[in-house]
Amino acid sequence: MTIAELSGTQEAILAAYAELIEEVGSDDVSYRVIARRAGIAERTVFRNYPTRVDLLLATAAWIEATLFAREESHSIFDIPLAVREAMQRYDARPELAHVVAETAMRGVSGAAPSPGRAHLERLLDAEVPTLDAAQRRAVIAALSHLDSAGTWVTFRREFGLDRRDIADAAAWAAEAVLDTIRDRVTR
Amino acid sequence: MEEPVDTATAILASAAVLLRERMFDDISYRALADEVGISERTIYRQYPTRAHLLAALSNWIEQTSFPLPPFVTVSDFRAAVHERFRAFDTLPAYAYVGARASAISPTLDTEPAYITRAIEAMLDVAAPTLNRRDRRRIAASLRYFSSAMFWARLRTGFDLDAGDICDAFDRAVDTVLAKLPDATRAEP
Repeated sequence: MTIAELSGTQEAILAAYAELIEEVGSDDVSYRVIARRAGIAERTVFRNYPTRVDLLLATAAWIEATLFAREESHSIFDIPLAVREAMQRYDARPELAHVVAETAMRGVSGAAPSPGRAHLERLLDAEVPTLDAAQRRAVIAALSHLDSAGTWVTFRREFGLDRRDIADAAAWAAEAVLDTIRDRVTR
Repeated sequence: MEEPVDTATAILASAAVLLRERMFDDISYRALADEVGISERTIYRQYPTRAHLLAALSNWIEQTSFPLPPFVTVSDFRAAVHERFRAFDTLPAYAYVGARASAISPTLDTEPAYITRAIEAMLDVAAPTLNRRDRRRIAASLRYFSSAMFWARLRTGFDLDAGDICDAFDRAVDTVLAKLPDATRAEP
């Protein structure tokens, strides 16, 4: 289900859960508390999201599409800018960034690990259509990987970087990837 | 598998066994207690939340199933990561637990992983006069491309196997190392 297809009730549930995650963490939130925050009956939450995993995945997708939404890039070479801005947004909402990063890493039953992939492919194919299949895949894979909450989590956790340094390092890495194809642009 | 020496390890060993047949989310403290032959309360005492259990399980799996070969040079580093990605491919359920654990909000004051320090040490040797900011950017990028997260994203989102993932990793490493100014590289 895409975000546009959510009912008002569903949006209220997901927004309530996201608020509660920021207040108390994702582990300790009961359906009862979510229902009270959303102003609906507990059974309505169960009817829409029968399991906690259903609820968590839907919430992560909603957070990614609303609170962490990207401004649309019109060129593949704008992606480092988008990455920089995304990192700053993750840094402002750390608990939610962790939830988005974690749900994307769940394997077969997780959220889509690279939600912006199709957009990256369109941009790359329009500007640099001459790449061979392996090169194209490597560029898309690297940029998808960098443009994600996982970057923010890893750079903060493993290197103790702050907001400015995370945004800088992630955008720098995306530029490094693009440097390999700058001379291949055709228009 | 080695004999667990204590309750905490016995719990992790049993969780790893259960992980072969179901997802981490489907392993209840109740089922885990039955499997170990202890009370549910004992598990809660060791692992107060599922996030604690996930983090500990990931560490234990990493040590027992995915030991990282030591590396000093860049080519050793590439080989070590390739070996690890191939091991992930043979035990995907375990590798997803590792990817997931590295994305959660830390439950304790976590130390950087061994591979992070090893990458930083490798760069100190390979490019001894590199400035601090560039070294940090390069180290952070290499670390992130060598992570279980990269493997998980390419396997799930791109449907790639270990061979293709190693290829994408090598290309990413090349792009990052291409930014090393020649003057900073150690004399061969």
